Amino acid sequence: MRLPTGCVPDVTTPDTATATRDRAGMPGTAQVLAAAPRGPRTRRSLRGYLVMPAVLAAICLALYFYVSAHELDSIEARSLNSAALSTAIGQHLQLTLVSTVLTLVVAVPLGILLTRPSARRLRPIVITLLTLGQAIPTIAVLVLLAVAFLFLGFQAAVLGLVIYAIIPVLLNTMVGLEQVDESVLEAGRGMGISKFGVLRTLELPLSVPIILAGVRTALVINVGTATLTTYINAGGLGDIIVAGLSTNRVLVQIVGAALTAVLALLIDYLAGVAEDFLRPKGL
Amino acid sequence: MKSKALMMTTFGAGLALILSGCSAADSSSNETGPLAGVDLTAGSKEFTESILLAQIASVALENAGASVDDRTGISGSATVREALLSDEIDFYWDYTGTGWVNILGNNTDDVPADLYAAVAEADAANGVTWLEPAPFENTYRIAVPTAFAEENDLVTMSDAAAYIEANPQDAAVCAAAEFINRDDGLPGLQTAYGFEFSEVVQLDLNLIYTQVGETCSFGEVFSTDARIVSNDLAVLSDDEGFFVQYQGAMTLRDSTLAENPAIAEIMAPISAALTSEVITALNGQVDNGGEDPRDVAEEWLQAEGFLS
Repeated sequence: MRLPTGCVPDVTTPDTATATRDRAGMPGTAQVLAAAPRGPRTRRSLRGYLVMPAVLAAICLALYFYVSAHELDSIEARSLNSAALSTAIGQHLQLTLVSTVLTLVVAVPLGILLTRPSARRLRPIVITLLTLGQAIPTIAVLVLLAVAFLFLGFQAAVLGLVIYAIIPVLLNTMVGLEQVDESVLEAGRGMGISKFGVLRTLELPLSVPIILAGVRTALVINVGTATLTTYINAGGLGDIIVAGLSTNRVLVQIVGAALTAVLALLIDYLAGVAEDFLRPKGL
Repeated sequence: MKSKALMMTTFGAGLALILSGCSAADSSSNETGPLAGVDLTAGSKEFTESILLAQIASVALENAGASVDDRTGISGSATVREALLSDEIDFYWDYTGTGWVNILGNNTDDVPADLYAAVAEADAANGVTWLEPAPFENTYRIAVPTAFAEENDLVTMSDAAAYIEANPQDAAVCAAAEFINRDDGLPGLQTAYGFEFSEVVQLDLNLIYTQVGETCSFGEVFSTDARIVSNDLAVLSDDEGFFVQYQGAMTLRDSTLAENPAIAEIMAPISAALTSEVITALNGQVDNGGEDPRDVAEEWLQAEGFLS
């Protein structure tokens, strides 16, 4: 079982993965279908929840003092001021959130559709196409949009990000739905629940942890990749990083990169908290 | 069996002939030239013009007997400079403006009249010699689509400033990160001419040429870039003389030049022949014509009679 590291944020339990392959009945695609159920786990203690924010706040504070200790020249000051930085962070958050929401809107329903028995035949085609979307580097997609279609800015950036992030969410949705124990569904149908009812009351709730793992992956991918959208006028923290790179100002580069990392960790942390609370009780 | 062996021998001999023919045509090095037996390493920045200039120098030095190792296309001005200082490369072409601002760390407010002399003198302290510069200048400029320029009578930056003042809705500029952030780029330009672009569209440098006239009316360009011609753009002249001069000059360590003084003599006439028109045309042969920089360099040197 090869596990694509890109879409596996956590440890995969081997038996789930095997079950997936068996139920999917298609070893070819099943190889790509790797999910990340976190397994039964109790919620963290209050103190456990506070560690990450404290660490991130400490990093930001250290960064602030580090920058304050420097005499900024005019080029550095142009990037390292609160207005420029908050604009960049705001744009970056917008890019990340909008692209993640759109990714979910596309990928989750598509994942549900593709796991219905009637759509079995379409699966390999759709998955191959979307995997291609992920195989093309985002920077290439962005440049292609700019050069071939003269399409720039926020919307082009979101399109580029969505194309890249769809696959992990889609695969996790499909794996999530397929790892649900067949006998549970059987029991549901035996009780006279309709097909849609089974999906809504059994399949989806039982696959929430895995779907959420995909969402979390998409968020983290998008935070990182959004730094590239500076090249097509979509702003974000990439503006800061590239400003530092192109003018050879290491301090500016460090601030841009560190803020991106902090943002990625923060978003991952928040998604982790959401995961803990959205997971159905008893799982 | 025998005929096959014969065939192989013939084939082998033919191959050897072809190969020796190739190498003879390729390296025009002569055993008796002033640089016979000298090993040099060529470096350059990552863009076409820099690579092309390094190839021109390489071919000319090989013609004088040196054997030149090709390490062109190093990413980033600071990296190439570091490579020169740490003996990784022996020469590369840099620009006087870059030397003044980036290498020597000066401000753009106090640019001396003779920039080349000032840079050459100051950089001597670092053990680096700047050979006599070429007449071409590859500087920042603002360009507009030719049709747009004719329609609105835009020739100089002052014309553009007046136009922008009157038509703020049509005053977006496409520019790359470096230009946007450098004092000798966009911020200084706007102050010098007393206007402000309504919108700054930040793009990768290579995307700008096709976007001028689409997303924005104005665009940052490099004055010797052949894509100005191929995208039908008109360059606005810098009538207030704001932009720092970016004259190309070959740089090398003092020690390299001391050991091989012939390098300066060989490069001087070649450098003098590289006008803006020449280098723009050569850049175009690579960027628009898809030719190999080394072939372009060789052809040009041959045609100009610099190769013996």
